[in-house]
Amino acid sequence: MTTNDNTAPDDRLLLHALVDGELDPASALGLERRISTDPALAAERSRAEALRRVLRDKVTPRPLPAHVRLRVERTIGLRRARARPSWAALAASIAVALMVGSATTYLAFAPARGDRTAEAVADGHLRALIATQPFDIASSDRHTVKPWFNGRIPQAPRVVDLTQADFPLVGGRIDVIGGETVPTLVYRRRQHLISVSAMADGKAAPPQIARRAVRGYNLVGWRDGGTAYWAVSDLGAGELESFVQAFRGAPAE
Amino acid sequence: MNGDRVSDEDDRRRFADVVMPHLGDAYALAHWLTGDAADADDVVQEASLRAFRAIGAYGGRNARAWTLTIVRNTALSWLTKQRRRTVVPVEDLEAVERAQALPGRNGVQASPATPETELIAKADAARLEAAIAELPLPFRETLVLRDLQGLDYREIAEVTEVPVGTVMSRLARARRRLIDTIGRGE
Repeated sequence: MTTNDNTAPDDRLLLHALVDGELDPASALGLERRISTDPALAAERSRAEALRRVLRDKVTPRPLPAHVRLRVERTIGLRRARARPSWAALAASIAVALMVGSATTYLAFAPARGDRTAEAVADGHLRALIATQPFDIASSDRHTVKPWFNGRIPQAPRVVDLTQADFPLVGGRIDVIGGETVPTLVYRRRQHLISVSAMADGKAAPPQIARRAVRGYNLVGWRDGGTAYWAVSDLGAGELESFVQAFRGAPAE
Repeated sequence: MNGDRVSDEDDRRRFADVVMPHLGDAYALAHWLTGDAADADDVVQEASLRAFRAIGAYGGRNARAWTLTIVRNTALSWLTKQRRRTVVPVEDLEAVERAQALPGRNGVQASPATPETELIAKADAARLEAAIAELPLPFRETLVLRDLQGLDYREIAEVTEVPVGTVMSRLARARRRLIDTIGRGE
């Protein structure tokens, strides 16, 4: 193997953008071609990929402690708490729910009609996050999750395995959206949850693909066959988009 | 307390909508930047106040990037104030790097990838976290935002207030340093 002085320094920078999917197709193509003829560059790519995986899988998340949230809520005056006994943390989460709830009611009537569903989907996600568990059935096995829906709602949703794409399934729940019971699947990326609701393709359906931001959450809506889907998460728009692509591209069970 | 009641209520509502969903990310970023849970708590409090005061200026675009920008700036001034860590100007860092890194160290010494790749894959949490904590701040924040918090380059550019090209090069160098550290074995 020759020395890697032959590798242009720029390629080593671009390599990381390639691994991150941030290169435009033309540059990506050119770089892929150079990687295929430069072993040093290929080795560097495999190291970069190994690092990315290990960071994702092994680094311990830093979850938000309840007292930090509580302190912010008090500081901003989101809740009118004076000194509280030790059950305050629990009470706090209810207080936030009420707070957010009232904001929700206010906003739900403001936007255009077509956005009502997006709003309701965001509400469902928010309610679930506030609940003790964001799902009614906890399972990473789609063969457990899908049957759970049967008998509870008219039609079980399409449940796909996205573990390969880095979005493991964590469970499912039933939401009520526009007066209808709707199956919702819950996936995860790092410590972020993604809710996907599947509903009959009626008036409330999004156009071919719709992107919304509701109360700080990102939403993507789309239709497939006779079903309208909405995905919602606090993930960035880019990552949510890649979730939607993975979900739509996954083979049916 | 001064301002009129109605607008205070509006601001609180906006804060609940814009900032609260991202408080978890805010805390994690503060934790990675300060390296300490108690400091992260204080930074989040201070950043929340700043965000609340500035909530009228929120443009309705990317709530997470907006929130994290404030957290990041708060953490940086916190670090400067506390002098817990010496904040080295990036320009100096970059000069040092150029001097020591580019030709040889940046790549492998003509060795095949496998053993190093395996070492990387086997690194445990403690080792990884120590290596991240050692990264100079501009590299650490870029890496944390990308690899632990999943922001895209454009969002990172917004939060750290540098061009996208700088994000790309900082990220590459942060990862290069981690690979050097954890791929070395020991």
